[in-house]
Amino acid sequence: MSGLVSDEVAEDYKNSLEDLTTNDRFQISNLTVIAKENTEHAMAISRVLENHIRSTPPPQKLPALYVVDSIVKNVGTPYTLFLGRNMYQTFMNAYSLVDQQTRRKLDEMLRTWKEPVPGSLDTRPVFPPDVTRNIESALIKARTAILENQKSRQPDMLRPRGVVTPTGWANSPTPPGMRPNQPTAGNGAGLSTSTPPYGHRPDVQLESLNRDLEALIASARNDFANSPFNPTSQQRLKALLDLQRILQNQQLPPDQLKAVRDQLATYAIPPAPVQNPAPAPPAPVPTPPTLPASQPLSQLLNSETLAGLLKATAGNQQPTPPPQFPTIPQMPTTSTPQPAENPLIAALRLRGLLPSASAPPSLASGTPPMGGSLPFMIPGQLQSTPPASTPQASTPSSSTVPMNTASMKIPRITLVVSLYEAKPNRCGTCGRRFPATDEGREKKARHLDWHFKTNQRMADATKRAQTRSWYVDERDWIKSREPSDDQNPEDTGATAEGAAGADGSASKQGPPKPWIRAPNEATLRNTPCPICQEQFESTWSEDVQDWIWQDAAKVGNRVYHASCYAEVTKDGPAPRASTPQARTGTPDSILGKRKAEGTESPGHKVRVKTEP
Amino acid sequence: MSLPGLELTQPSEERQFAAAPPSQIALSSGSEWRFEVAFGHIVRVKLLTGTAELFGTELAPLQTYTFSGTKGAIYTWHGCELEVSAGETGFMTLDGVTPTAGHGAGGCQSEYTAEETPMVEYSNVHFALEAMREEAQASSKDGPRVLLLGPENAGKTSLAKILTAYSTKVGRQPLVVNLDPTEGMLSVPGTLTATAFRTMLDIEEGWGSSPMSGPSPVPVKLPLVYSYPMANPLDAEGSVYRPVVSRLALSVTGRMAEDEDARETGIIVDTPGILSSGKPGSLELINHIVTEFAITTILVIGSERLYSAMVKQYDNKPSASATAAVFDERVSVVKLSKSGGCVDRDAAFLKATRESQIRSYFFGNPIPSTGTAALSLSSSSAVTLSPHAQQLDFAALSVYSYTVTSTEDEDEDEYDPSQLGTGESFLPGGGSEDYTPQESDHGTPLPGVGFSGDASNQTPPTNVPLKKILPPAPSTLANTLLAITHAPTTASPADVRDASIMGFLYVADVDADKGKIRVLAPVGGRVPTRAIIWAKRWPGEVVGLVG
Repeated sequence: MSGLVSDEVAEDYKNSLEDLTTNDRFQISNLTVIAKENTEHAMAISRVLENHIRSTPPPQKLPALYVVDSIVKNVGTPYTLFLGRNMYQTFMNAYSLVDQQTRRKLDEMLRTWKEPVPGSLDTRPVFPPDVTRNIESALIKARTAILENQKSRQPDMLRPRGVVTPTGWANSPTPPGMRPNQPTAGNGAGLSTSTPPYGHRPDVQLESLNRDLEALIASARNDFANSPFNPTSQQRLKALLDLQRILQNQQLPPDQLKAVRDQLATYAIPPAPVQNPAPAPPAPVPTPPTLPASQPLSQLLNSETLAGLLKATAGNQQPTPPPQFPTIPQMPTTSTPQPAENPLIAALRLRGLLPSASAPPSLASGTPPMGGSLPFMIPGQLQSTPPASTPQASTPSSSTVPMNTASMKIPRITLVVSLYEAKPNRCGTCGRRFPATDEGREKKARHLDWHFKTNQRMADATKRAQTRSWYVDERDWIKSREPSDDQNPEDTGATAEGAAGADGSASKQGPPKPWIRAPNEATLRNTPCPICQEQFESTWSEDVQDWIWQDAAKVGNRVYHASCYAEVTKDGPAPRASTPQARTGTPDSILGKRKAEGTESPGHKVRVKTEP
Repeated sequence: MSLPGLELTQPSEERQFAAAPPSQIALSSGSEWRFEVAFGHIVRVKLLTGTAELFGTELAPLQTYTFSGTKGAIYTWHGCELEVSAGETGFMTLDGVTPTAGHGAGGCQSEYTAEETPMVEYSNVHFALEAMREEAQASSKDGPRVLLLGPENAGKTSLAKILTAYSTKVGRQPLVVNLDPTEGMLSVPGTLTATAFRTMLDIEEGWGSSPMSGPSPVPVKLPLVYSYPMANPLDAEGSVYRPVVSRLALSVTGRMAEDEDARETGIIVDTPGILSSGKPGSLELINHIVTEFAITTILVIGSERLYSAMVKQYDNKPSASATAAVFDERVSVVKLSKSGGCVDRDAAFLKATRESQIRSYFFGNPIPSTGTAALSLSSSSAVTLSPHAQQLDFAALSVYSYTVTSTEDEDEDEYDPSQLGTGESFLPGGGSEDYTPQESDHGTPLPGVGFSGDASNQTPPTNVPLKKILPPAPSTLANTLLAITHAPTTASPADVRDASIMGFLYVADVDADKGKIRVLAPVGGRVPTRAIIWAKRWPGEVVGLVG
């Protein structure tokens, strides 16, 4: 989209597209002509087309895709390039949402894309093979999974007559036999034979899991597009995208993947109740398509695979960010309240993925009208970044929230992301969150260090008495800066700051005063200062983390008051007490010893304290 | 070295010995689990799946949190599953009082799940504040200064916690100011405090803990504390409350000026409910607060009347900030719904809460989350503190006491919110008949009139109702708190009133004959030689702190 002109063209084109509600050949050709005449705006037009297909209601997706078809076949290069880029998503989104009939038409159309344009001299296919191959293999996988469970319903899938694209050029050749597994209808036998391998290979599992997700996301995105201001659809979409991100970012063992996948499948396809007389739905019977081992869900759940998943996930996460989707890592609920409902379903419902508790039954009965879109699992590309996920992942700006009473009532669930998903890296000890960036990881590492050190210190601390520190005064408070537990590991002990603040006066006293650790032997401890004949007093030193004698010095093997010793040896002036001490029991020393206590620092004199 | 006898006076309604089995509670997204736990009973809560937050502070998964003597709500944005179980209560029954257990899950007195919460509104407040903070970050403008108003039990403090927790969660550092003397924040009741919050709040202990000599599992917070030893800010016509608030605001403004993080994030001011009761003088006090803190955002919870009064007076008016004109900063008044989970806390519960705050100031929080207490990796905040008992010569102390008569009488130790609205205001011209003359008849000092006419104090005629207590030590000192200020002993009463607090002494005994008092000091060592304010009237007598 370069410049205004492009925007204008795009806008016009968008409006024209919006008028296209039926498979109207005239309109489609018209749109094709416009596209042809504006190849310089091919990129803009391609985007418009993609967006339109994504957002338009399912019944109008087919005509829109026919426009694409018409354009790529008649105009060609710039468009095949631009449209091919996102064709996978575009196609699969549409495919997952439309009904069975339309799907057949889409299949047909897809098939023609693998062929050269009819009548053209160019022998290359309409779209490069890699574009179509992705879509095709995804469809095959999805379909085999379903077919496996519905062989009896083959007739439904059979499509005796080819549907021709209405544009006239689509006199597509008959299905070429070059691919045995081609997802064409009527190929049912071949399809079902190809089934078994799938589901046993982990990568396939992952893919199918992603497929499930993709389908769910697509439908959620559609909901969202139809009602952008509905918080539940927003939330559902966001949750699914989060889940997808987890799956894409994590290496999970196959069995765990399977557990998740099966549950997801159960969500997508309503479970057990379906077995009761469903009124002959034309759509696939919604049994979990990914049930190759026919392992009961309950068994899966009870085998603690999810707990294992949690552990493994947690284990993997030590260096890496944890999943963004908070529901997943906490799955170890092997004991669910109601056995009928597995935790993931419950969790999904809790997160608004399912409309209400009564949803599954209604879904079951409602499958036919929904065109069986849910059971279709669409393969996801691991690297694909869904367009919608970009804005979701980044922290939404709150700059649009005005501070007034009316504004407060508007739910802004998307902004809650800033409190949770924006920082997916959660500390397991205290729940603090960190962003999934390098900086966030670094911070978390320091934070975990802090926890570790604190725990160590707390274990140490149980051995001795702790006390409440004095509060700081105004000056210190204003000067103080809150310590954080993710900063320099040196001062991670948040208490250090507080303690330092509390005895700030002590640390501000200029030159350090001599002190020694209080000796342990009782005799030495009870020996007074040889000069003044006074006992030493033990004080607890926060810095040393031990009992000390203030103003003491060991000379030889005797301990003196440092001030006494200094006085006697006359190699230093004795500081004079500036404040009268409330030491009623002690004769005031004429020598002015121990005057080191010019300030009121607590802890210099311990009058009523017993040494441990 | 800790002293025995940590008994509590539990509000014991019934006895139930069987511990409730662990139960699981599934919350759908946007709902909350509200619970009440009696004092003396312990409930453990574990987050099994999903996300959950207690007043904005997120619970860590699979950690056991311990609650006792609290009423709270655990909200979930995404849905979650909680496991609730009863804690063993054996060690709390040293005094033979049997803790009460309710019938709810885990022995909660009451617990239920609520679908309707005002969390959408509350989170929007946060988002709107964030928008203002982003603006402040981009300019030299100060961050938003938020004032929370609302009647008692409307959820003001809970909202303050939510806003604080959310802003720390997104990496901000709000200055949280508690102007409610009936409840302490990071301190004991009878104080007004300001604290910068950078680290997360303590799930179990509400706001967290002030610094201790040892480590704390949740980073400690550093409060600036002022003494206001009265329950009612309107006492003495606010003549004590007002200057203390001004002083506090001054310090907070000073911090804002120097601390860039604090400047951007702004201030959250929690107020006592009585200011919103429409009593005479309360609007003036609100105005004082709005002016002193240069409030930009007034949040009114659950009171239409106050909301309309606030809108009339402040909405869209320029803020009191010096730079208001530069940035065209205007006050916005926002009305918020009161949560259906707000419950009236009865007098007994409030009293027990206060006592537990005082106890934990001296003794820490002796409730371990698990049997192995601090050694475990749990997020337990179990820290046992060892205060130091010592004898002090009362004559050597300079203890001041407020001579304000309360609206409540001395015999009414218990703060009862329901009685505060009965219009017993004594304020002259305050609309309540002829109360003032009666007071003078009683011969009690008139509020607001300087009775600090102590000859020893060169008191300027500032009408500070602060009087030095001369020996002998009054026997009523026993079982009360003494607040040690940072002011020197020679300070004037006004300075003493405005001084920040170093800490508290608990008077265990008074030996009038010898002129000694036995006190409990948080820190060992000589009690600092500073002016001391006697918290005679509030929080008042706390019996049995020391056995």
